[in-house]
Order: sequence, then structure tokens, then C-alpha cells
Amino acid sequence: MLRRGERVWLNAAVALVYAFLLAPIVIVVLAALNAGAYLRFPPEGLSLRWFVAFAQSRSFTRSLAFSLKLAATATVLSTVLGTMASLWLVRFGGRLRTTLRILLTAPLAVPGILTGIALLIFFYALGWGKTGFGGLVIGHTLICIPYVFLITSAVLVRFDQSLEEAARNLGASPFATFRRVTLPLIKGGVISGAIFAFVTSYDEFNISLLLSGVGNTPLPIQLFDYLRFSFDPTAAVAGTISIAMAVVVVLLTQRLVGLESLYMGGG
Amino acid sequence: MSVAEATVAPARPAGRVSGRHLLILPALAVLVVFFVAPYLNLLLISVMTPSPRAAYLRVLTLDNYARLVRDPFTWSVVWHTMWLGMATTALSLVLAYPLAYHLARSPRGARGALMVLVISPLLVGVLIRTYGWMILLQDTGLINQLLRALGLRTVPLMYNNLGVLIGLTHVFIPFMVLSIAGTIQGVDPELELAARSLGAGAWRAFWRVTFPLSLPGVIAGTVLVFVLTVSSYVIPSLLGGFTVLTIPILVVRTITELFNWPGGSALAILFFAITLGALWVYLRLAGRTGRTT
Repeated sequence: MLRRGERVWLNAAVALVYAFLLAPIVIVVLAALNAGAYLRFPPEGLSLRWFVAFAQSRSFTRSLAFSLKLAATATVLSTVLGTMASLWLVRFGGRLRTTLRILLTAPLAVPGILTGIALLIFFYALGWGKTGFGGLVIGHTLICIPYVFLITSAVLVRFDQSLEEAARNLGASPFATFRRVTLPLIKGGVISGAIFAFVTSYDEFNISLLLSGVGNTPLPIQLFDYLRFSFDPTAAVAGTISIAMAVVVVLLTQRLVGLESLYMGGG
Repeated sequence: MSVAEATVAPARPAGRVSGRHLLILPALAVLVVFFVAPYLNLLLISVMTPSPRAAYLRVLTLDNYARLVRDPFTWSVVWHTMWLGMATTALSLVLAYPLAYHLARSPRGARGALMVLVISPLLVGVLIRTYGWMILLQDTGLINQLLRALGLRTVPLMYNNLGVLIGLTHVFIPFMVLSIAGTIQGVDPELELAARSLGAGAWRAFWRVTFPLSLPGVIAGTVLVFVLTVSSYVIPSLLGGFTVLTIPILVVRTITELFNWPGGSALAILFFAITLGALWVYLRLAGRTGRTT
């Protein structure tokens, strides 16, 4: 272990890296709350005028609504599919287990921008052209399934299967067993999987860049187009909303499953 | 199963066998149809002939690959991407290790709070974090304002490799921390203590005991961050402006701006092969890590 003097050095280095990690995030929130058009020191005072500008911008509010609708749809689909898949894999996987585990997590591992390209060309090949909402839902669901699958699996492997057997032996139907025994016990995992899916979809960029079309613009794409030509703090408001959401998600996940189960390789 | 067996077998287990597989079927169908098939389609189009009039001609050719391999421009972009990947990986390893060590050796309660700090940036969209860096790094940004106020010369921090490097490192540090912290936690602190009591200094005890034992996590994190870095699109395009060209940017440009589907597909497949190779290494190392801890 470290002696006191050494610990001071380590703590100083660690504090600097944490400052580096949080700097751009804090800056976005400050820019959104700053009265001026540019972030300056000293700041020109607090103001909500950029929040008003955001709320009055049709293109921003429309893409915010679109993003929320898209994320909600992708979350429902990927949570159902991912939870079912993890139930199957943890219980009955058998010889196919490793292959299927790789397939189910593959969308997370391959470059998202390539998946976007592959889907774009594939949709054209099927004659679907710019598919709009439907295409985006498919792409986002694909990206969200691995998160749901990984988090639910982490909870399922800790689950005592004899509880289910007991319920079945006492005459419960498979569905009743699932609803009354399995689901309540893995609920935390399923909910945090769903939360991760929602945030992933809400922030997803690569797939959306390639599959979105006119009138089907999720918020990140709207922001990307905006930031290429302007640094106006209206964009910072969108960022602040996303940051607030992330904070809520982290705290919820911490309470439901504990963030330590997210260590890579663990769980 | 023969008809006789089916009728003899009790109804419930038979129902369970078929019902069971319905669990995996939907996810499997979605992945095969909308993930495996599109990638196979990409592979197929990469061997078609480009055409100015249609998306491609249905004539098989390996010219797209030959052209890529022969073009020095491709190699300069590949090299630039790899260079950015390696620099980002090295930088995030150096910054993440102290964090991971500190995290793994913190008392349980503090660890939860620190995990919140590490994970939170991950959940804020890449685009938002990049925007934060733009406010800080641009020529009229906060850092340059500070330099000017101090009477120093301003430094171009954005629209160059430096800006891209800062943005990429920031995004991938949490992945590195998570990979490494897990293995450090598996290393018994008593081992380090033993080295210290036998007369080793802090550095020596670290380099000879803790670091080698945390190597599986370091290797896993390194490969993971490298793969994620070379495939990122947003950060190089926003913080690099037009000066930084990476393989993903080139792929998107070839397909959406030049409408050269076969050429873009070939480049995508080539790139995919590179990341798959790195990922294969990762899975093998991760498998080994899982067995030792």
C-alpha cells in the first residue's frame, strides 16, 4: 500500500484526470446558463434566455420530440428482445451459447458507422429507399439489444433457479412462474437495461447520420448540422438536457444493480 | 422425433421444448436479417463494378480492392487513422491507470461515488462532450481567452490533430478505467505490502508486482480503446474540421458524396477486417483474463 506522501501525489493526479473528464460537461451546462452569446470570463451572469430560444426553435423541438419517440420505440423493442434472449442463453444456451453471445453483442463491438452504411445500402437494395422512422427504429434496436442483453444476463447468472423449479412443482404455469417469480427478481436488471437502451438510442449518432432523412432528424443529427456552422448556446441547452438525463440514469442504475457490475469482463 | 415418441412423451415437457426456443428466436431473427445480412450485402457490393449511371453494375470484379491497395492516398488515410488510434490509446492508458488504481483501492462507499464520476461522461452523448471541447478549444474559446489575458500567444487547439487527440482521449478514458480497475481489484493488496516490507520503493513495488498482475486488464483496455478510436466519426469530423481525414470519414464520403458504393464498400470491408482482427485479439485476451481472475 502507499504511504501518506505517496498517496497525496496519487490523489493529486487522480483529481486532475477527473477534472479533465468533467470539464467539457460542466462547460456545456455553464454555456447554457450564461447570459452572453459566448462563454467569457468573467461570465455575464445567469440567464434562461437560451432555454427560451431552444423552446422556440421549431427545428430543435421537433427533433427532440422525434428523438424521444425513436428512443422509446427502440427501448421497448430491444428490452423485450434482449431480455428474452438473455433468459434463453443463461438457461438453455447449450453448445450454441458462445456463438450466440458473440452475435448478440456484436452490434456493440463493430464500428457503428459501418453498421449504418451497411443498413443504408441494404435498405436501398430491398427497394425501401430512405426508410425514415422505420429504418431508424431497426438500426437503434440493433444497437440497444447488446446493452439490455449484457445487463440482464449479469443479473440472471446470480439468480437462484431452484425458486423457479419450486414454483413449477407447486403447479404454476410457465407464464405465471415468469411473471410471479422470475420477473420480480430480475426486475432491477431489466429496468437498468431499458434505461441504458433509452440513453443509447437518444444519444446514438452514427446510425442516425446515415439513416435519417428530411423530416426524420433525431436531435444529435440536428445538433451536428448546427455545430458545423455555429457555436450559438442554443445547442448547449440540448446538451444540458442530455446531461441531466445521464445523471438521473447513473444514479438510478447505481441504486438498482450497482455500477460495479458494469466492470468490463465482470458479471 | 418420431410420431410414436411424440405421442408417448408427456405433453408439458414437449411444450416447454418448443416454447423455450421462442425466447431467442425474435432477437436472432432481427440480428440475422438486419445485421448479418446487411454486412454480407456490403461484402457483395464491394466486388461489383462501379458505374456513373447506377448504384453499381452487377459485374463481379476485384478492381475496387486492387485500386484501394494501390492508391497511396488510401494508405496515408489508413496511417493517419492508425496513428490517431495509437496516440489516443497511449494517452488514455497513462491517464486512466492512476484513476483505475485509485478506484480499485478505495473503500466500498467511496468507490460507488467515484464510479458515478467515471460512468457519467459515458452516458452524455459524444456529440455533447465534443461541443464542450469546442467551447474550450476554439480560437476564441476559454483556454485561449485565458492565454490572452495572461499576455501569452494564443494556440490553435482545434481543427488539427491536437484537438482530435484531446477529444478522443476524453471519450475513451472511462472504457480504459473500467477494463483496468477490474483486474487491479483482483490483485491482493497484501502482495504489494509484502514487496514494500521487503524494502522495495513505491515505484518498484508497483512496476514489479501490481502492474504485471494488472496486465490482462491493460491489454484488454488497450485493444478496446484502439478499436473504438479508429472507428469514431463525430470527433475527428468536428474537432478536426477538414484537416483530419480518417477511414470512417472517407468511407462515408465515398458512399454519400461520391456515390461510389462499390469503392466505399470495399474500403468499409477492409476497415472491418482490421477492427475484427483487433477484436479477435481482444476476445482471446478477455477469455484468458476471465480464467485467471
